Amino acid sequence: MTITGKLEKDVSTLKKLLSAEDILTFDFTSDSGQAFTVVFADPITDKELLGEQVVRPLLSYDGKPTAEEVGKKLTSPERREEKDFQKLSEEVLAGNPVLFFEGMDEAIIVGTKKVFVRAVAEPSTDVAVKGPREGFIEDVKINTSLVRRRLKSKDLKIEFLNVGKRSNTFVAVCYLDGISVKKTVEEVKARLSEIDIDYIADSSYLTHFLASRPYSLLKQIGTTEKPDIFCAKIAEGRVGLLVDGSPIALTAPYLLVEDFQSSEDYFVPPYRATFTRILRILSLFVAIYLPAFYISAQLFKLQLFPVKLLLTIAGAIRDIPFSPSLEMLLVLFVLEVLNEASIRMPKYVGMALSVVGALVLGETAVSAGFVSTPAIIIIAFSGIGLYAVPNLIEVTSVLRLVMLLVAGSVGTYGILLVTAFVLLYLVTTENFGTPVLAPFSPLIRRDLRDSLIKYNLGSLDMRPKTLQSPNKRRLKQKGKQKETQND
Amino acid sequence: MKARKFLKTLPMKFYLLLLAVVLFSFFSNDFGLVDIQKTAVILAAGIDKTESGFSLTAQIAVPKGSDRSQGGTSSVDIQSEGETVSDCVSNIFSETGWVPKLVFINLIVIGEDAAKEDVVSYLNYFLRNEYMNDSCHLAVCEGTAHDLLSSKSATDDTSALAIQKLFSTAAEKSGKVMPNTLKDFAIGYYGVSKSSYLPYVRAKNQTGSTHGDAENTSGGGSGGGSGGSQGSSGSQTEQEKIYLAEETALFSEGKLVAVLPPEQTLAFSLLNGNVVSGTFNVKEKSGEAVTLTVIENGGGVKIDMKGAPRVKMKIDLTVRLCCRGTTAPIEDISTDDVKPELLDSAKEVLTGYVQALWQTGKESGCDLFHLQRDVYRSSLKKYKEWKDYLLDAAQPEIEASVRSLR
Amino acid sequence: MTKISSRQLYFFLACIAPVGKLVIMPSRLATYSGNDLLLPVLFNYLIETGMVFVVLLLAKQGKSFFSLLKEHIGKVGAAIVVLLFSAFLFYAAFLPLFEQKVFVQGVFYDTIPSLVAFAPFFPLAAYLCSKPLSSYGRTWDILGPVAIAGLAGILVLSVSEADFGALLPVGASGAKGIFGGTAHSLCWFFDSAFLLFLLGKIDYQKGMAWKGALFYGLGGLAAILYIAVFYGIFQETSINQLFAFAKTSKFFSGITVLGRVDFLFIYALAFVMIFYCTLPLQAGIDGILQVFGKKKYLPTILAVALNGILVLLMVFFDYRFGQIMHFVSEKVFWLFPVFTVLAPLLLLLLRRRKDESA
Repeated sequence: MTITGKLEKDVSTLKKLLSAEDILTFDFTSDSGQAFTVVFADPITDKELLGEQVVRPLLSYDGKPTAEEVGKKLTSPERREEKDFQKLSEEVLAGNPVLFFEGMDEAIIVGTKKVFVRAVAEPSTDVAVKGPREGFIEDVKINTSLVRRRLKSKDLKIEFLNVGKRSNTFVAVCYLDGISVKKTVEEVKARLSEIDIDYIADSSYLTHFLASRPYSLLKQIGTTEKPDIFCAKIAEGRVGLLVDGSPIALTAPYLLVEDFQSSEDYFVPPYRATFTRILRILSLFVAIYLPAFYISAQLFKLQLFPVKLLLTIAGAIRDIPFSPSLEMLLVLFVLEVLNEASIRMPKYVGMALSVVGALVLGETAVSAGFVSTPAIIIIAFSGIGLYAVPNLIEVTSVLRLVMLLVAGSVGTYGILLVTAFVLLYLVTTENFGTPVLAPFSPLIRRDLRDSLIKYNLGSLDMRPKTLQSPNKRRLKQKGKQKETQND
Repeated sequence: MKARKFLKTLPMKFYLLLLAVVLFSFFSNDFGLVDIQKTAVILAAGIDKTESGFSLTAQIAVPKGSDRSQGGTSSVDIQSEGETVSDCVSNIFSETGWVPKLVFINLIVIGEDAAKEDVVSYLNYFLRNEYMNDSCHLAVCEGTAHDLLSSKSATDDTSALAIQKLFSTAAEKSGKVMPNTLKDFAIGYYGVSKSSYLPYVRAKNQTGSTHGDAENTSGGGSGGGSGGSQGSSGSQTEQEKIYLAEETALFSEGKLVAVLPPEQTLAFSLLNGNVVSGTFNVKEKSGEAVTLTVIENGGGVKIDMKGAPRVKMKIDLTVRLCCRGTTAPIEDISTDDVKPELLDSAKEVLTGYVQALWQTGKESGCDLFHLQRDVYRSSLKKYKEWKDYLLDAAQPEIEASVRSLR
Repeated sequence: MTKISSRQLYFFLACIAPVGKLVIMPSRLATYSGNDLLLPVLFNYLIETGMVFVVLLLAKQGKSFFSLLKEHIGKVGAAIVVLLFSAFLFYAAFLPLFEQKVFVQGVFYDTIPSLVAFAPFFPLAAYLCSKPLSSYGRTWDILGPVAIAGLAGILVLSVSEADFGALLPVGASGAKGIFGGTAHSLCWFFDSAFLLFLLGKIDYQKGMAWKGALFYGLGGLAAILYIAVFYGIFQETSINQLFAFAKTSKFFSGITVLGRVDFLFIYALAFVMIFYCTLPLQAGIDGILQVFGKKKYLPTILAVALNGILVLLMVFFDYRFGQIMHFVSEKVFWLFPVFTVLAPLLLLLLRRRKDESA
């Protein structure tokens, strides 16, 4: 359906499409008698701006009734012409008023959307002691501006797509032309355009549609709340997605090793970064395996304990009414409940909850003989270890539980079997043609420089081979005569 | 269509089934497993000969509960009899309900009488057992192993742990004790020499002991006796013991054939070249005793098969003066130099020890230095030629060199 | 899934293939050959290294085993040979699987657990077997370093305890002992037969044949070194020491202080063994798929059926490992050289003849 040029008919057509009560019309006439009508969504349109940039200039309008001429009179920098009613209705719903006037063949969309945004602040889930502290917010425009500020390159492409039949959510696809793999960009866009869903509440909705294994336990799309990380990933050759209404940006392809890296690793000396990365992976292994090994040692292989430790443990659990596996499951359950409750609780209750959790539940349960001290120590250590890699917490906490169940059933051998299963699963998982476990499997030696080991910046002169960027070099070494063709 | 749908949902059904099985086994949690609560953590085993077979004394660690303020390790001694060692172990299970686990055994003590028979006739139980720790120490004791293990140690709550201290690396380096493990004993037994050695442990009453309340006794009171057997009584009047392992029992074809006195044990250690900071006494011309400390020890035994077999036994020591048995002027105390006449005396003493050691080995038929094995490894022909009378025919050539540190 | 790269193949040949030979084989060799046990390993490795070279030469053409055979002996003949090879691999896999079972029961538990404890292996094996054989390549990228770390760790902890003099005098067991040991340990050397099924799945690089053989030989040297350490530690009692790589490191002096840290390395090798044991099964299934084509659910059905049969066999032979080993290594050991030596050689000869006639 397109515009007819008859003001009354066109306005009523649009009103029929947008029959909600908060869609209002405002009619006014210029000094020369030209009639105008603005259709807008009341709660999300900046009416002051509308009056200032649209109504006031047009009151003195006496030109031809063409969109081009009227447009010249408007003082709003954001405006465009549109004929299609479907698109016009989408713009009204997005907060941009539509201007009609008698005799015109196009309506004018004016960008006077009312923006409700919080300030750009440090993200709570991705804290860095050193380095930038900005975090994405819920507004996609501001988020793209944060990206643009960091990548002032003509190659930075930001393409907007609408996803969600009802929500019409803006999704910004960001990539560096000539650095990102075209095939990946096209594939991302294709997968996004195939999404047929009513409503996109958050960027996490998209991960399901972008993943090649949607039901996978493991993550398949990278996430970050920090523009610096987002831009660094785009500069490596990834494609980034910013979703309106979500402070969490997505990046693809995703490599498992990304979650062991922190932005801070690039702002501290490489030996420190290497140390902390190794520490992160060790803590993650300890967090997943420690409760399981503790249980399987108690039930099936006492030899895993040195004899003195064995006797200490045996003494501690002597009067516990539960089997060792059930005891551990119970403590883990309490930890997960405390964890879940402390995240959701109002902050002022949080402190009380910590006291209840740590003192009342822990101390009293031990002295009452419900659980043993070693079990609490093991789970506490495991709980802390898991947070060394916060981005993987959803996966790792489930894996810890699986390991615990298997360890309590068949012991250490079961743990090895589940590990073998996870390994095979990981090595066979690819996303956008990139193996999730790279650069370890397949082994890419050059990319190991920024994996668990972190070389200094001077050695990271090439983009990760794993990502297959057409432009391989990212750093020109001083004094190097030979340059690659891609420079 | 139905079949395709069924196949499509099959993996999910399979995972659910697997989850159900895992949950079931997790909560039922019994595939004949023996968890920590049902386990008898045997720290030491003592084997004695009885008229009908064997008697096994198992020293079982008992957890102290949450009260760790006392420290140490409590234990009970369970004695059990049977025709074989396996019988005895089974009896422990049937009579106490504890499942004996052998993985933590770090000491097997053989009673003197039992050692006079082929020890492998009962040690084979441990050698066969896949779950046995074959790096555990093996020792022979004076009297019965039961008496030794159930005695009250003056140095530890648990006698086995007190005895094991004698076999530490530090103790071995002192040259006072020659520890051996089950594995190495078996290698000696099954090797061409068919000989081995074990430390010989004696318990000695400790005088001047200051504690001895019933709570601290080994076993904390009792062991569940079996078929007339009993654990330590926990008697308040029981004398505390200290343990000595300065003697070494020699074995040939698995039987105890001789016991080396402390000085021969020292000579044996010195020949093995593993003594550091060990001491030995020599006499000055005046007859006063002087203690020398070994700083460096080189040593070795080699057999030369050119012509008649000759056994070259060499001890090469660097020593310093450690103590005199008399008062000494300050000038003497300020130096640890050993005078040449003392060094000569040391050589003489050591040569005597080694000579006596060789003689003991030869007379007992124990190929202590694995000479047959050395000949076997160097020449199969010579081995076949000499294997039956090598020890008798071999002539020892002893060379002791002792030098002062400065 | 992409093809198996040269690096991944070398990881398999040098690091993963030796692990399966370090469980029960060393003690069996000590039984047959005494202190000469290194010679049978050396002979078998020399033969098998040659066969690896031959098979990798065949890989140059980029054709599958079935396609290669089809060119020479026709479709029916090729199908029969490939199915025979698959059957052979199922047979050959049985002993390592049984080894794995007794190893698990012996090393992962303090007291003998019921068969149920080993049962979870089979669902995993079925899952592994249902995956394409080429998916193993990436697994080897991980397993290679794990195997190196495991074996190196165990060697470091063990070597000080070894008395290498125990390997003397050379030849003490006589020709019967040495050649008997060689013959009776053949059942642990069938890697070249397995490699035949990787034909067409390997991304062939120039010089891969000799490099592959070299890496296999290096793995053999590592195995020989370990077996030497093993015999140096246990000497005459080696016969009694099943599960070699789980036994040698416990004598390290630091163990008394730290506890059994060596289990980290033992478990690392046991982890590698899980995959190693399923390789011949997966190769056998791949052979059947080469003959009958890759129908949608066929790999899963075959994997489930095969592992179901294996479960039944394990239940039936539960405590009869000795008899199984006796049968495979002493009675029907001649089957191994037929498939691992003669067949690849014949294939190479046929290929040569075709080249000449062309």
